[in-house]
Amino acid sequence: MLDLNTKKIKKNAYRVTKVRGETASRIRVPGGLLTADILPIIQNIAETYGNGRIHLTTRQGFEIPGIRYEDMDAVNALLQPIIDKLDINQEIPGKGYTAAGTRNVSACIGSNVCPFANYNTTDFAKKMEKEIFPNDLHFKVAFTGCANDCIKARMQDFGIIGMTEPQYEKERCVNCQACVKACKKKSVDALTVENYRIVRNTEKCVGCGECVINCPTRAWTRSTEKYYRLVIMGRTGKRNPRLAEDFLVWTTEDVIIKIINNTYKFVENYIDRSAPGGKEHIGYIIDRAGFSEFKKWALDGVDLGDKTIVKGPVYWSGLHYD
Amino acid sequence: MGYQINQDKMNAILTELSKKYKIYGPRRYVGDGTFAHVDTIRYGEVTTLDDIEFKEKSNYSFKEVLLPISETLFYFTENEMKEADAPHSGAIVFLRSCDLHGLKRMDTIYLKNGAVDTYYKRLRDNTKFILMGCEDSFENCFCVSMGTNQSDDYDAYLKIDGQNVLIDSHWDLLDTALAEMPEIQVIPDAVSQNKTVVEIPEAIPQSVIDSPFWEDYANRCIACGRCNFVCPTCTCFTMQDIFYTDNGKAGERRRVWASCHVDGYTDMAGGHAFRDNKGQRMRFKVMHKINDYKKRFGTQMCIGCGRCDDVCPEYISFSNCINKLNTLVKEEN
Amino acid sequence: MTDINPYIPFLSEIKEVIKHTDIEYTFRMTYSGNVNPGQFFEVSLPKFGEAPISVSGIGKDTVDLTIRRVGKVTDEIFENYVGDTLFLRGPYGNGFDIQNYLDKEILLVAGGTGLSPVKGLVDYFSANPKDTKGFTLLVGFKSPKDILFKNDFAKWEDNLNVIMTVDTPDDGYCGKCGMVTQYIPDIPIKNIENAVGIVVGPPMMMKCTIAELIKIGFKEENLWISQERKMCCGIGKCGHCKIDDTYVCLDGPVFNYTKGKFLRD
Repeated sequence: MLDLNTKKIKKNAYRVTKVRGETASRIRVPGGLLTADILPIIQNIAETYGNGRIHLTTRQGFEIPGIRYEDMDAVNALLQPIIDKLDINQEIPGKGYTAAGTRNVSACIGSNVCPFANYNTTDFAKKMEKEIFPNDLHFKVAFTGCANDCIKARMQDFGIIGMTEPQYEKERCVNCQACVKACKKKSVDALTVENYRIVRNTEKCVGCGECVINCPTRAWTRSTEKYYRLVIMGRTGKRNPRLAEDFLVWTTEDVIIKIINNTYKFVENYIDRSAPGGKEHIGYIIDRAGFSEFKKWALDGVDLGDKTIVKGPVYWSGLHYD
Repeated sequence: MGYQINQDKMNAILTELSKKYKIYGPRRYVGDGTFAHVDTIRYGEVTTLDDIEFKEKSNYSFKEVLLPISETLFYFTENEMKEADAPHSGAIVFLRSCDLHGLKRMDTIYLKNGAVDTYYKRLRDNTKFILMGCEDSFENCFCVSMGTNQSDDYDAYLKIDGQNVLIDSHWDLLDTALAEMPEIQVIPDAVSQNKTVVEIPEAIPQSVIDSPFWEDYANRCIACGRCNFVCPTCTCFTMQDIFYTDNGKAGERRRVWASCHVDGYTDMAGGHAFRDNKGQRMRFKVMHKINDYKKRFGTQMCIGCGRCDDVCPEYISFSNCINKLNTLVKEEN
Repeated sequence: MTDINPYIPFLSEIKEVIKHTDIEYTFRMTYSGNVNPGQFFEVSLPKFGEAPISVSGIGKDTVDLTIRRVGKVTDEIFENYVGDTLFLRGPYGNGFDIQNYLDKEILLVAGGTGLSPVKGLVDYFSANPKDTKGFTLLVGFKSPKDILFKNDFAKWEDNLNVIMTVDTPDDGYCGKCGMVTQYIPDIPIKNIENAVGIVVGPPMMMKCTIAELIKIGFKEENLWISQERKMCCGIGKCGHCKIDDTYVCLDGPVFNYTKGKFLRD
């Protein structure tokens, strides 16, 4: 006779499934990068307590279906080495994940592998995970290395898109125009030639780094400082799915961490406690509270620096079904 | 004369020398590479031995010291021209044996082929070359095949040996500075074999030059010119005239590095181009490096540093091209 | 010797401008050094750059530079008038050596602006007809309005066998039409074994003409061509004009066909 508190189960990162008596365990992998030695542990859980299958989630975690509710403690014990190896914040050791609202922080493959990436997305994702997890509030954060946005950062509450500020050493330029062609064909056509040297339209430039990648002489190099485009409040869903809009451009790691932490406080203050399951997407909260109110909370105590461009008021489009 | 000296004292000598000479060596430029978090090793000014990257092959050669990527030739007003000043009046360059052989190729073009190049000569005449040894071959090096793995045509050889520095000097100024130091025999480190071995065909028949062999490169090469820009023996340039935007009557003429792979290299006024096909550009370059230059000047042009193979974003291997060519020539004969 | 900076041009005055077509003028420039037909100068315009222009005539203390407007440098040259000055570097290249053609039957075939680099030769043999055993100038232009050196033709016709043809005639043109190659078989040559052929023009025209000359019995070693390539420095440094082991700016632009036929761009 099963007698369960489904709310507690969900917070412990288990799903209440359509199959009576069976749950599924979700394993978070911040930044989507793990060492191969973790896979046999997942395999063991799936074969010992699940149905031998593993689902790869859209947020770069694993979901092990077919687990009996009564095996949750045993599964939590087996999850511990995964939690340790991936360095997941945990309130009670041995009890599995202690929250599920704040989703796995995902990231594209980033500069460990990808030639287009402007930063190490995995490292930043892990750092963000350490900052915001565990938390029951529903936050989706994803990191992408460049404006190609392979992780679909624009479908997140917070999407972080890598940028570099191209540095031009004109004395190393041979006017081959590889940068101009790349920018025109693959990016935003922000480069022109004047007196055989390249002029970058700083208004247009999205910091994708194509000029740097295509420069054969190191006339174009990356800025030492890493920059980011912070896009906010993208979402899927029934009522008003939409792409995230730019909030900050040319911003920094510290600013992004502070803003996301601040947003937790904003949500705590404005969330509709009567919402089903006490769960409400941030975007709807901002729609209700107003962008300027969100901005006030988000930028509280934030030193933006000289370079950051703050967009606003931000309006979202998307589809409206309500 | 061979010497042993500790690093601090050698650095003090470099400081002294830097009053008269700009000192250049391969330096690590952190994060300056093509991709994020990738460094570039290229030539730049150094002040101490610590600034010099001894452990890795430089991505770019020393050639930019004598042939700056962009070099102003003269300034002009409407009816007057004034020769630009040299970027340095004397230089010391740290380089490896292959590059030292590359220097001879540059000398041949700039001092012997036609008129003497004023700009090259004024830098070259006052430049001293310090050899860096190679204990081991780097990836893609084929200096042994090209006979450039050794050189004694240096002003000095310098090796870091723990806290000490070993020097073999052919330069009186350095001998004077080192006069108090213990004399020992110093023999430059040189590799005697490379993993990459190339065999250059002795005579390349016309049929191979006209062969469809080169077509393979037509859709592989992206005409970026990296192979030329990293090559110590590629010395082509293009001239640019610019006028100053604040004073339309004044300006300068400069020359910048050119690449026979990059579009526009053979374009004439009016639009005709001679090598539109990138496979033919590959043929042109390869033939120059391992055939044409030798026909004209008696030595092979390529010095086997392998930087072109290191850098090609499309993984076109120059050394493998030579070997494939050699096989083809054997089949033809 | 090394004190001379080969990149710094000298000033030369425009003595005369002869207009041939809307886009082709001859600029007669002051110059008193040695120069051969077929050599070239870099016309050097500060702010605009340089253009290699072959010598189309040699006078006492002057050289003729026949310039076609095809780019920013040549456009700018056309903004100049008699009494103005231009910067020049040169002369560069080997040019045509008259010694190679003395006392021989000569067939000179030129296409369009290809007449410029050989015009000095035509002038020479027109003035010294006894130095040749017969000189035929066969020259083709695209259309009557493209004809260069109109005023010179009358003079040349006095001493030389001149055949001029145009690809496409217009109303009022009553001369010969068609490609130069169709006139080659009819040219009277007494001793083809020793006759000299000189061919200058667009790449296709040169290729077809040479094939025709060889077909009628010209020996390869008696054929001469002039190659036009991208020139930048003119002194064997910049590399743009290199073909095989040959620097066109140093070793050419004039080549004996036995060498020229092997040149692969």
